[in-house]
Amino acid sequence: MQKPQISGNRISIPSNQEFLSDVDMFIEGILRGYGADESIIADIAISVSELVNNAIAHGNAQNDSKKVIVEIGKNTDVVTISVIDEGVGFNPNTLADPLAEENLLKEVGRGIFIVKSLMDSVDIKPSPHGTKIIMTKSIK
Amino acid sequence: MKLTDRVENEIVVLEPKGKIMGGPDASLLNDKIHEYIENNRKKVVIDLAKVEWMNSTGLGILISGYTRLRNHEGVLKLANVTDKIQSLLTITKLVTVFETFDSVDEAIKSFKK
Repeated sequence: MQKPQISGNRISIPSNQEFLSDVDMFIEGILRGYGADESIIADIAISVSELVNNAIAHGNAQNDSKKVIVEIGKNTDVVTISVIDEGVGFNPNTLADPLAEENLLKEVGRGIFIVKSLMDSVDIKPSPHGTKIIMTKSIK
Repeated sequence: MKLTDRVENEIVVLEPKGKIMGGPDASLLNDKIHEYIENNRKKVVIDLAKVEWMNSTGLGILISGYTRLRNHEGVLKLANVTDKIQSLLTITKLVTVFETFDSVDEAIKSFKK
């Protein structure tokens, strides 16, 4: 299995949860360099971990040979992060409501909802060649 | 994530430390909870003081422990919930599910009521 590859503001990992902490350290390091406060760093780190988990487990179906790519950038005080997988896409409108009574005690199904709650914007772009999710958050 | 555990007056206290985001570390907490349940422990407190943050995988582990204990007539409670985790419990409505306490001692005492 390949190891994580870092190039500038981009990290690429094989689709295996053992690399979640590599992505986390990469993202948090860059955010601290941007001067973000710790609470915002945590919100962004949680959101990135949600999407990377989904990309590994669902997008790339735990296939080690497929990659998850995370890119981060900043424009004035707004951070933009993209998480990209090599799967077949999905329909975000089919996600169940985790706040519905019948779903409250389900162990899964909250990831995207949490991301949308913590980030300022979330744009999901599925395609037959993979899904790209772009999220933004102001760090001022 | 690291995990320490102890039993105090028949009450299991689990103390994860670090971030709970998924992967092999998260399995450690999940497996430990279920190990105690398999050994017929019915009262569990998870001390979250040293958990920097968790994501939905961490919440799923808490729910799994909660429901499995409930199915065995047991109870899982949370202590020292940090502001970040409290906000996640609130936005996911899980604040209506879990009993939370400001300290492990208070959580332990609540079992005697």
